[in-house]
Amino acid sequence: MEIQLAWLCLILPFLGVMLTPVFARINPVLRDYGAVFFSFLTAVSALMLLPALFTAEKLPLESMVVWMSSPMQLSFGVLLDPLSIIVANVVAVISFFIMVYCLGYMKGNPSIMRFWMLMNAFIGSMLLLVLANNLIIVFIGWKLVGICSYGLISFYFRDERKYWIGGPEPFKFDKPTECGLKALVTTSVGDMLMLGGLLIMYYYSGTLNVLELYETAPQWIPAMAATPGMIILVSILLIAGPVGKSAQFPLHEWLPEAMSGPGPVSALIHAATMVKSGVFFIARLIPIFYYAYWTGGVEEAMYFFIIVAWIGAITAFLAASQGLVALELKKVLAYSTVSQIGFMMLALGVSGFGQDILVKGYSAGIFHLMSHAMFKACLFLCAGTVIHAAHSIYIHDMGSMRKYLPYTWVFMGLAALSLIGVPPLPGFWSKEAVLVATLESHNYALFAVAVVTVIFTAFYTMRFVGMVFHGSSSKHMRKETSKPGHHVSEGYFPQTFACGALAVGIVIFGILGLKAEYALNSLFEIQLVKGLALSTVEHIYSYPKSMVVAFSIGSVLIGVIPAYMFYVTQKWNPAVPYERSRFVRTMHTFFWQRWYIDRFYLWLFADGIKRFASSVIAARFEKGFDVGINYRLPRAVVKGGNNLLSFIRADARDMSTNIAYILALTIVILFLALIRMLT
Amino acid sequence: MIPSILFQIIFIPAFIALFIFLLRYQVGKQAGLVAVIGLAYTTGLLLVLLSSIYQGDPIKIDYPLLINPDIRLTFLVDGLSVAVALICNILCLALCVYSIKYVDHRVEVIYEGVSPRMETSYYVCFFYLFLFFPVGFAGVSFAADLIVLYFFLEILTIILYFLLAYYGYYERVKVATMCLLWGMFSAVLVLAGILIIYSQIGTFQIDEIHRMAGNPMAFWAIAIILLGLFAKIAIIPFHVWMPWVHSNTPTSIAALLAVYANIAAYVIVRILVLPLWDDFMWFGPPIMVLALITMIYGSLLTLAQTDIKRIPACSTISQCAYSMLGIGAMTAASIEGGLFFFLSHIMAKTVFFSTAGIVVYVTHIRDINHLKGLANKMPITAMLFICGGLMLAGMPPFSSFPAEVILFYGIFERADTFSITIGIIGLLAILLTVGYSFYFTMKIFFGTMPDALAKKDYIKDPPLSMTLPLIFIVVLSAFLGLYPAFILDLFEPVISAAVANM
Repeated sequence: MEIQLAWLCLILPFLGVMLTPVFARINPVLRDYGAVFFSFLTAVSALMLLPALFTAEKLPLESMVVWMSSPMQLSFGVLLDPLSIIVANVVAVISFFIMVYCLGYMKGNPSIMRFWMLMNAFIGSMLLLVLANNLIIVFIGWKLVGICSYGLISFYFRDERKYWIGGPEPFKFDKPTECGLKALVTTSVGDMLMLGGLLIMYYYSGTLNVLELYETAPQWIPAMAATPGMIILVSILLIAGPVGKSAQFPLHEWLPEAMSGPGPVSALIHAATMVKSGVFFIARLIPIFYYAYWTGGVEEAMYFFIIVAWIGAITAFLAASQGLVALELKKVLAYSTVSQIGFMMLALGVSGFGQDILVKGYSAGIFHLMSHAMFKACLFLCAGTVIHAAHSIYIHDMGSMRKYLPYTWVFMGLAALSLIGVPPLPGFWSKEAVLVATLESHNYALFAVAVVTVIFTAFYTMRFVGMVFHGSSSKHMRKETSKPGHHVSEGYFPQTFACGALAVGIVIFGILGLKAEYALNSLFEIQLVKGLALSTVEHIYSYPKSMVVAFSIGSVLIGVIPAYMFYVTQKWNPAVPYERSRFVRTMHTFFWQRWYIDRFYLWLFADGIKRFASSVIAARFEKGFDVGINYRLPRAVVKGGNNLLSFIRADARDMSTNIAYILALTIVILFLALIRMLT
Repeated sequence: MIPSILFQIIFIPAFIALFIFLLRYQVGKQAGLVAVIGLAYTTGLLLVLLSSIYQGDPIKIDYPLLINPDIRLTFLVDGLSVAVALICNILCLALCVYSIKYVDHRVEVIYEGVSPRMETSYYVCFFYLFLFFPVGFAGVSFAADLIVLYFFLEILTIILYFLLAYYGYYERVKVATMCLLWGMFSAVLVLAGILIIYSQIGTFQIDEIHRMAGNPMAFWAIAIILLGLFAKIAIIPFHVWMPWVHSNTPTSIAALLAVYANIAAYVIVRILVLPLWDDFMWFGPPIMVLALITMIYGSLLTLAQTDIKRIPACSTISQCAYSMLGIGAMTAASIEGGLFFFLSHIMAKTVFFSTAGIVVYVTHIRDINHLKGLANKMPITAMLFICGGLMLAGMPPFSSFPAEVILFYGIFERADTFSITIGIIGLLAILLTVGYSFYFTMKIFFGTMPDALAKKDYIKDPPLSMTLPLIFIVVLSAFLGLYPAFILDLFEPVISAAVANM
């Protein structure tokens, strides 16, 4: 039964894609509700998988057909284990609410059919990625979500001025189609390397079936480890994919620009689904590398965990620092997403640091994935409503919007508090779980980075909430609200409903937070320890849990209080420290310029490669080849022929000379023939 | 089984060409339709042949022509040849449908002011020449004799010359001559190699070439034939003809030019790699390096183009090299992947090139700096261009994805540092393909349409006879991407048997 449901989860969204044009021909209402209905059915199918978690001992379940039998043996199928069921539910359920929101948000858009098709294709591809039983099929889902996200980010392909992001003047703006291209190419860097990693792994293991990889690890891991450096190479290649897709350092630069798509797209791609695929993939790989290090004794396998943890920590810090100064509402949320995924990566990374911490780190990562998907989807959807109402993408163009959007204020406020990590909302529990896992791994540098990031998170979250909903109205808002019949108000009902539903979900999930954490721990205990027989030891806490809670709440307060004073009550003026301190100004510029990484990439890769292609490859090499082979060579041949002819002609006046030449040539040939005969 | 099925597949297009030529004034504008019917029939026959290959063993057909030297009209139908022939024939069919409107337009543009009778003559001429492409491709695919193979390769070169000279763009006669000279250069070397083989084994039969294994002359035969075929497949520095020729060919055969170039990969596998595996081994690493350089060079060159027709032209240089990379790696998987990539590439290029052609056909503009926002008025064309890009870049669900997976797996299978390095750089080189495909999509089709273009009412999607065949190819590629076993199960017995015998 569960297996059939899993197949349905894959089939239904694609059925929605195919039927949308048919519905569109019949009736526009049928088209819109039809598309949402398919995502509803998908969500129901996913929800019906949840009971399987109560009998987790019976998992994993697998169903497959042969996709290719030669020269590689690859199957196509679904795999149900706690990880896939949980993530599939996160994807399907949140996607459904986003689709409901779209009913209002996209109302009247002339390209709505394309939008529905892309959205459903995206959901289907994402579920394929999550439910696939084989890593190459995961990769197919992976690429398909990339293509759909390209289509959705570039949705406004006409690049009208109102859809540009970036700025404000004098800073540069980005057009949606450029942003789509940037996302596609940047994520592809990781994808290609990841494919390399998968293929090398296949060479050693002879399979890419997830369960078979786990089962046969004792045979193929030693074979791979026999080549020095191979495990490290494969680790780096495999991690590159998640780094690209989940926008982690150094491939994180595409995500802020990916905000140029419609609001719900940002929610779908950047909150609930695509960016989580990297975290999911790392979680899929952890049992392999954990086995390699802790059971197989392969020292190199530890690099996998070290790289993941450090990439997570660096990204969390880096993106949060950029969020401190960003002015575009969706970009603040984008930086926040990058940063929060860093937290997930950090938790997954530290899970391999000790035998006692595997389940803790693993479940902390997935727990944060779940809670973040919820509150960030809510934040993005609310941001869509806010931007729509304010007619501006900048938070300094907003202010005091609470009175115009009271519901959105509540919903966004709840989600923001969860992001900050205020108890008892889910963000608090999951973040705390990450911090506990990090501290218990005894890697204090990582823990310090995480704590500083929590402070930054609290600050930027309170900052944008204050600048949007509180304080005094900006000049822009005053202008907007002074217009007769202005539209600074809540969006359509489906929009408010979807945000509200997610907000209610956040509260319920928060109240059940501790239980959820416990349930996840036991589920992964069953999957990893009992199911896969990974060798673990019982964890004995080195530090009291209350200490981490104190760290967590203390950091939140350190971040929240100044932001509250600056942007909510406005008793402090942020311009004062900025003008007085050179350090603040320098750091502000540094963060605003995104640590100059984006600019560097643009110079080196985008402009650099184009410049190299046209000024070196085309103008020098190709021209050289062209002139040399297509012009000079034939000309030389013709000239040589002419010279020979004229030479012969010139000497034709004296026939005897020619005869002498011919005779000499004949003698030489005869001589050579003689030598050949004698030897 | 249908009588003389193979003979029909190869020669029926030639008979139809003769028929069209003889009755050219009576057939008139229906020539395209007649050609399409003929090709649809041969495609049907190929499907019948394919099903019989699925069920049984390879078929060899032998018609002795000369006793001394031993030249026979010998054909071999196995999984490899039938798959290549089928895809080539389907592409010819699709492009023949595409040509019906296109050639009409092209003749109008080039031969403006000629009498209606002459116009008909030019129109008809295109189709009777075009029909020799399927003859050539089928002949090359099925040939089991080196001279027969050489003969059909040469047919392609000669037909290309006439089609280019009659219907090409700009300096068409000059470029046609250039193409012919390069074709001859290649042919002479191939012939020289063939003669070396004959001098050693006394026969032109391809299945006898293995007798030359270990012979010191095998090295020279391989080297000379490879040199000739490098010129055909446009490996650096023998690629210089490709941008000129491709960008100036009539669009409806430009994609067949990619087949003409890339089929050399099949020939290399057929006559060199499989029979002379051990002797070919020496050439593997240099071919891999050259192929990698060509892949990157071709992609960068593509990125630098501003002429919409030169974009797919330069991309062909890069894409053909993928097949060579697979062949150079010399594992069963890499060769299968390389050949599957060849088929995927020619499908992709058919869509990509023909769509670029549609843009020129509709807008009469080639400089992409003057094109922008075409998706507003030409959504189907834009979609096809994007699909072409996805097909080139090896994205699922298109067939180039499994092809690339198998190809690179074959490279990693060698498991030495050199191959792993080449494999990883090769994978990263695909990024350039992704980059240029979507960069040009953005430049040409996205953005706000300039007023100059927006005002022109004639800018719209072309007639269905031009888009439908391309949509069919996109669907075909997606089918083979979702069900790669359809092709791979055909390749597998041939390649594995040959590799197992080594």
